[in-house]
Amino acid sequence: MFSESMFSVDAGYLEGLARGFKGGILKKTDYYNLTQCETLEDLKLHLQSTDYGHFLANEAGPLTVSVIEERLKEKLIIEFNHLRTQATGYLAEFMDYITYSYMIDNVVLLLSGILHDRPIKEMLAKCHPMGTFEQMEAIHIATTTRELYDAVLVDTPLAPYFADCINEEDLNEMNIEIIRNTLYKAYLEDFSAFCQQIGGTTAEVMQEVLAFEADRRAFMITINSFGTELLKEDRKKLYPACGRLYPGGLEMLAQAEEVEQVKLVADYFAEYRVMFEDDGTGMDKTLEDKFFEHEVRLNVRAFMQQFHYGVFYSLVKLKEQEIRNIIWIAECVSQRHRAKIEAYIPILE
Amino acid sequence: MGDLFRSQEMTLCQLFLQAEAAYACVSELGELGLVQFRDLKPDTNAFQRKFVNEIRRCDEMERKLRYLEKEIRKDGIPILDTGDNPEAPNPREMVDLEATLEKLENELREVNAYAESLKKNFLELTELKHILRKTQTFFEEALHDQHMTEEAVGLMTEEGMMAGGQAAGLRLQSVAGVILRERLPAFERMLWRVCRGNVFLKQAEIDTALEDPATGDKVLKSVFIIFFQGEQLKTRVKKICEGFRATLYPCPDSQAERREMAISVMTRIEDLNTVLNTTVDHRMRVLMAAAKNLRLWFIKVGKIKAIYHTLNMFNVEATNKCLIAEAWCAVDDLDKIHLALRRGTERAGSSIPPILNRMSTREMPPTYFRVNKLTSGFQSIIDAYGVASYREANPSPFAIVTFPFLFAVMYGDFGHGTLMFLAALWMVLREKQLAPTAKLSEIWATFFNGRYIILMMGAFSIYTGLIYNDCFSRSVNIFGSGWSVRGQFNQSLTPDQIRTQVRGIESLQLNPNDAQAKAWRANPYPFGLDPVWQVSGNKITFTNSIKMKTSVVLGVIHMLFGVFVSLTNHLHRRDMLSVVGEFVPQVLFLLGMFGYLVILILYKWAVYSGRNSNCAPNLLIGLINMFLFRYDKATNGCPPIYTGYQGLQTFLVLLIIPCAPWMLLVKPLILRRRQQMLARGGAMMGQQQPQPQMQPDAGVDGGDQTELGMGSSRMAATISMTAIRLSIWEPDMGITERRWTSVRCSCTRPSTRSSTA
Repeated sequence: MFSESMFSVDAGYLEGLARGFKGGILKKTDYYNLTQCETLEDLKLHLQSTDYGHFLANEAGPLTVSVIEERLKEKLIIEFNHLRTQATGYLAEFMDYITYSYMIDNVVLLLSGILHDRPIKEMLAKCHPMGTFEQMEAIHIATTTRELYDAVLVDTPLAPYFADCINEEDLNEMNIEIIRNTLYKAYLEDFSAFCQQIGGTTAEVMQEVLAFEADRRAFMITINSFGTELLKEDRKKLYPACGRLYPGGLEMLAQAEEVEQVKLVADYFAEYRVMFEDDGTGMDKTLEDKFFEHEVRLNVRAFMQQFHYGVFYSLVKLKEQEIRNIIWIAECVSQRHRAKIEAYIPILE
Repeated sequence: MGDLFRSQEMTLCQLFLQAEAAYACVSELGELGLVQFRDLKPDTNAFQRKFVNEIRRCDEMERKLRYLEKEIRKDGIPILDTGDNPEAPNPREMVDLEATLEKLENELREVNAYAESLKKNFLELTELKHILRKTQTFFEEALHDQHMTEEAVGLMTEEGMMAGGQAAGLRLQSVAGVILRERLPAFERMLWRVCRGNVFLKQAEIDTALEDPATGDKVLKSVFIIFFQGEQLKTRVKKICEGFRATLYPCPDSQAERREMAISVMTRIEDLNTVLNTTVDHRMRVLMAAAKNLRLWFIKVGKIKAIYHTLNMFNVEATNKCLIAEAWCAVDDLDKIHLALRRGTERAGSSIPPILNRMSTREMPPTYFRVNKLTSGFQSIIDAYGVASYREANPSPFAIVTFPFLFAVMYGDFGHGTLMFLAALWMVLREKQLAPTAKLSEIWATFFNGRYIILMMGAFSIYTGLIYNDCFSRSVNIFGSGWSVRGQFNQSLTPDQIRTQVRGIESLQLNPNDAQAKAWRANPYPFGLDPVWQVSGNKITFTNSIKMKTSVVLGVIHMLFGVFVSLTNHLHRRDMLSVVGEFVPQVLFLLGMFGYLVILILYKWAVYSGRNSNCAPNLLIGLINMFLFRYDKATNGCPPIYTGYQGLQTFLVLLIIPCAPWMLLVKPLILRRRQQMLARGGAMMGQQQPQPQMQPDAGVDGGDQTELGMGSSRMAATISMTAIRLSIWEPDMGITERRWTSVRCSCTRPSTRSSTA
């Protein structure tokens, strides 16, 4: 109670801003209008009437999807940094935690780029700007995980998460996936512990969101591991232990050998059971999309409570989903592939 | 006055415009600014409207203009602002404008690209120059500094031993380059980690900031040189350099070569400088020419865009020859609009005149007040609380007087009021010159836009200040006080002698009842507060009492007035239910409780004087007792305030009490009853009657809850406003008093007067 009553002293203004940004998230009618677009120029015109305003106004020449994506991300970054620079104390740390997941993605992306001998410039352009760090561009000097740790990651906030995957093996495809999942596991567990340390409503809200994130990863790891050389024992090590599946569900998942068995595990959990069920509407949504939808639901719900940091996390996640939606629609529009244009994930009514 | 009290009479018009004349007509109407167009296609997407291409072209032009503006600002060229307001150009001219802007943009981009490549070249050469200069010192140090050479030798031998005695063949290699200064620490750390400490890095800061050719920003950089041994280390070092975006430059080992290189670099820099200067001059010329017209272009493009936006709201007639628009406008302005339309048709050279029909509608028209520079400030204050609906009574004509007056009742200081008045007068007299500056700063704009309000507040403060006899919180003795201490001293003393004696006395009492002392001269101070109170010990008690009572009187009159203004609304709408259900109980409530208090205050002032002041009743306690029906018998031998007061008071209380439920319940219940009847009637007729609440223009206003809320809030407001008025003076007075005390005591502490206390 006390922490809630003092919340607004430090973070009240920022929470207000975050809620304001959330108010700018596209609504159902906006999406409806966007899907009506014939060209990207139409898309731009419609986005002008939303909170995105003139974010594309200074682009000369023909519009491309990649330019739109770049600008969308840029806008998210500007908003995020605006909040981050004014944040203090726990909130500042909390917002840093949000960026770590993007850092992990960037590290993994760069590593796989190195593996396939892509030029580093090209890879850097693909990195998410939220997760940039200073040593990122020099990552290609690493050939083994030990070198990666010693040279690059040791100075980044990711260093403690990396401790579990140091070995002298050369990098390969499998390796990189393991690194990604190990890092994520450590990150989620750490973030979850941090939120518990903050306590109060933040812990309550974030617990739910992060637990889902952890469980989603566990499910996806299991499903993706079928038919690869990944051993069951190794797979088990990758499950983040901060979700609702922990510990019983994870034990069962670790034994799973095919998708049916994963379904059986999900049957024990009401909210996951529906994801694996065929909803019978004939619209075959992928499991991934269903997960995304659930994530959006959870994040929208985070805004129902006040005086907690979860809104900042949820804002970033919702904005990210919105960017994915706009890009999806833009791709469909530009490739004249209208059949699947409806397959975006609606956020707000 | 009449204009401001009721908003303008509005009418919905339908306009039929010839397709070719529509642009010119809308342009004329836009310059006039007297119509509000309605969007006739609210469900259509922005990109599915008729003139979307024109709007896109305008967007494109605006983008070019913004680009030009950015470049002009970057070079610090002033943008000419003549203050004139060009008319929207014809659609034909739009093409010319587009071409001009296109040409300008291309020219500028070309020049910029060229300048950028030159600047890049220049940057590289400058960096090289710095490298050569700094490395010179490194190498010199290396030669002279014994320690450094030892370290290098040690490194060599160690390396040599590892390589198995081939030390003789190995020599140190070096890489020199330039890096952003803020990246240096991380760079150094990573170098050390990756090469396991087997490199030697030497760095020096470049003192002058270099210009980034792409963005034009000034950046700080550092020169570094790395010594290492062996090919493997070399590739690693180079990779790290690449990763940190350090630019590497060849740096010869021998001193002679370096010197030679430095000389050639210097000459090349000079050559480049001349080329660069001519490019920059060219760019300047282009931008200077553009800066002259930029503002006009911005206005023109903005107007074209606004016209097409408006045209997009119109319906297109089936034959495509005619555009149909709907707009709200004031009835008084119809002639002007007709005239503007005719001008537009003439300009477009169209023969068929536009048609303007007045339409009848059930929709609520928009509220439009015709304001001038004096009333606009007050109107905006009123609008901040809530905009009156169409033809509803507007409080702002009254607020022009009451707002500054009530401010002054609180502020009440002749001296400060004069300062305020003069400051506002300065703004009013020089408003033409000052108007452009108001755009520059938000705070200044607030003052400037409120100049007439401040002027009035200042004037009223002078008036109330004179009544309070306060000038910078001190009293002024103009007419001579009505009190005297003379009677308490020996009559033979001269005034000067009395003055010296008075100074020696701690306190003197002035008792009006003491016939011998003749303290009261029986000629009251002609205007305002007697200055003797300034030096009296019970000043605060006395002035607080009088100010409190005055403010209750003023406040009750103010509130009563507001209730009567609402009566004009009810009568205007012929809403007898509101008169009976709202106005009557409100007036009874207000008059029965506070109106009675006001009468008591006036009565007390008139009846009780210094002689019988010990019998004066306490009105506040009296008011409370009135509601408790408690009438004490013990009166200390004083007569009651007036005979029969108990009966009257009991009657008043009995009158007030039913007012509360009357105010709260009568109107909502009747409304609910009506709705139920309506619904039942609709159901019986088997029609799908829309819910009255859903109808935006339904005659039945609000629902039960809003009525209930309004009633109770009105009651709470009545009571709390009075309480606030009672309490407002006290801190104000206290502050004034303390302020002078502190000034007297320390004479140093600055203090400000808090007017709103």
